[in-house]
Amino acid sequence: MTRHGLGPGRGQDGTDGRSQVAGGDRPRGSGELTHDRLTAQRGRDVSAGTPEFDTGTTVVGLTAQDAVVLAADRRMSLGGRFTANKSVQKVEQVHPTAAMGISGSVGPAQDLLRSLRAEASLYESRRGEPMSVGALAQTAGGLVRGLPVTPLLGGVEAAQGEEGPSAHVYSLDGGGSVLEDEYVATGSGLQVAYGVLERRYDPEASVETATEAAAAAVAAASERDTASGNGCTLTTITAEGVETVAREDPLDGGTQTEAGATGGTEEVA
Amino acid sequence: MQSNDQQAYDRGTTIFSPDGRLYQVEYAREAVSRGSPTVGVRTAESVVLASAARTRSPLMEPDSIEKLHDVDGRIGIGSAGHVADARRLVDFARRHAQRERLRYGEAPGVEPVATAVADHIQESTQTGGTRPFGAAVLVGGVDPDSARPRLYEVDPSGTPSEWQATAIGSKSGEIREFLETAYEPGLDLDTGVALALEALAESTDDNLAVAELDLAVLDADGIDRFGSDRRATALDDAGLSAS
Repeated sequence: MTRHGLGPGRGQDGTDGRSQVAGGDRPRGSGELTHDRLTAQRGRDVSAGTPEFDTGTTVVGLTAQDAVVLAADRRMSLGGRFTANKSVQKVEQVHPTAAMGISGSVGPAQDLLRSLRAEASLYESRRGEPMSVGALAQTAGGLVRGLPVTPLLGGVEAAQGEEGPSAHVYSLDGGGSVLEDEYVATGSGLQVAYGVLERRYDPEASVETATEAAAAAVAAASERDTASGNGCTLTTITAEGVETVAREDPLDGGTQTEAGATGGTEEVA
Repeated sequence: MQSNDQQAYDRGTTIFSPDGRLYQVEYAREAVSRGSPTVGVRTAESVVLASAARTRSPLMEPDSIEKLHDVDGRIGIGSAGHVADARRLVDFARRHAQRERLRYGEAPGVEPVATAVADHIQESTQTGGTRPFGAAVLVGGVDPDSARPRLYEVDPSGTPSEWQATAIGSKSGEIREFLETAYEPGLDLDTGVALALEALAESTDDNLAVAELDLAVLDADGIDRFGSDRRATALDDAGLSAS
C-alpha cells in the first residue's frame, strides 16, 4: 500500500492528524489537486516505481425522489495497468443517512472514509442528533484537502417540519472543493458515465429508475474505461438509512447479491 | 506548627501526607458525595443508568442539566459531582472511543474506555499544577464481541472498578446498601429499570420528579435514552409516581 499523501502528523499512532478527533492541526498538503493533476501525479508515482493502488474507478451519484443512489464499479488497479482487486466496495456508509464513494489512491481514500465516519459519529454523540448533510459535506471537504482523492458524497436530510426529506449529492476533490449537483460522476470513467447520465437523469425518477440509470452509467464506463469493471455496487440512501447490493453484471438485476463486508457500515448504525 | 504541615499536604495534589494520603483527592471525593446521585444496574442483557438532577429554581430548564451522556452510541456515562469536570471526562471518552475506531476499525469495549478515563483522571493526581477531577463517573454498555453488559465506576483517584450495581453521588452509601439487598443477577430489563429507580428514590424523601429524572438503557443495540413520557411510565411501573 502506498504511503502517498500522508502529511506530517499522520499515521503515527493510527490517528488522522487532520481530524478533529486526533486534535491535530490541518497540514496543508500538496495544494490543489484537480482531476487532471491527480492523473499526472499517478503517472509520476508509477514511473518512480512506487506501487500505487488506484481505484481507477467509475463512481456516480444521483438524486431521486427523497433518495440518493450511488453506484460504483468494483475494480482496483495498480497504476491503471493491472487489476489488483476485483471485488472492491468503493461506496461506504459514513453517517446514518449518507455514504461516500471513493476514487483516487486507495490508502488515503480509506483513511478519509474512516476519519469522516469518526467525525460524524463524534458529532452525533456530542450534540445528540446526526450531522446535517451540509455539515457532513463541509467536514468532508476539510478532510479531503491535500489528499489524492476525488470522492463523491451522497446523503438524505431527514424531513423537517413541513418539508419532506431532501436528497443531496456532492463532488469533492483534493483541493477541498465541495460542489453540490443533481448528479455527479468521478474517476477515470467519468466522461463515459456523464454521457449516460446526461440522457438518463430525471429529477422526478423513482428510486428504481434512478438505480438503473446509475447502473447503466457504470456499465457504459466499464465497457470503455480500462480501469473500471468487474461488476458494480449499488447503494440506496433514504431517510431510513443506507443499503448496498452488488451485481456481477451492472445491467442484470438477476446477478444481484447482498454486498459483502463493508468495513464499517455497522459502526454507524 | 502542626496546622502548617497539614496545610502543606493540603495544597499540592501531588504531595502525599505522612500517612500516605492525597488530601486533594479526598476533597474531590467529598465534592462527588455532594453531587446529585447516579445509579447503575446491570441486567441480563443491558446496563441501566438513572440519575436525579436538582433544579435550583422552577425557572430552570431541567433538560439543560446534564447527568447521563452518550459516548459513541453504544456506551453511556453517568456522572456525579462537578458537572463542569464531568463534561471534560465525557468529551475525553468520546474522543477516545473514536480514536479506537480509527485505529482498529472496531468499536471499543466498556472496559477499555473506562480504564482510559481512569488513566486520564489519574494523571491529574500526579501532575504539577493540576487539581483532581471533582467528579466520579459510571461507564456502562454492552461489549461488542461477547455481548456482555459491563458497568464500571471511576472515582477521582482514577481507580476503575466493575460493579453489578452501584451508585455515585450523595447518599450513595445508602443506595448501595439498598442495592446489596435488592439486587439479583440476571434481571430482566423492566425489573432492572424499576430497581434503578427504587434505588434512586432511596436518596430522597420526596418523590422523583419526571422532569428531574434522567434514564437510559445501554444494550446490544446501543444507547436508548428515555423521553419524559417513557420516564413517567417507568416511574409508574416502579410504583414511584408522584400521585
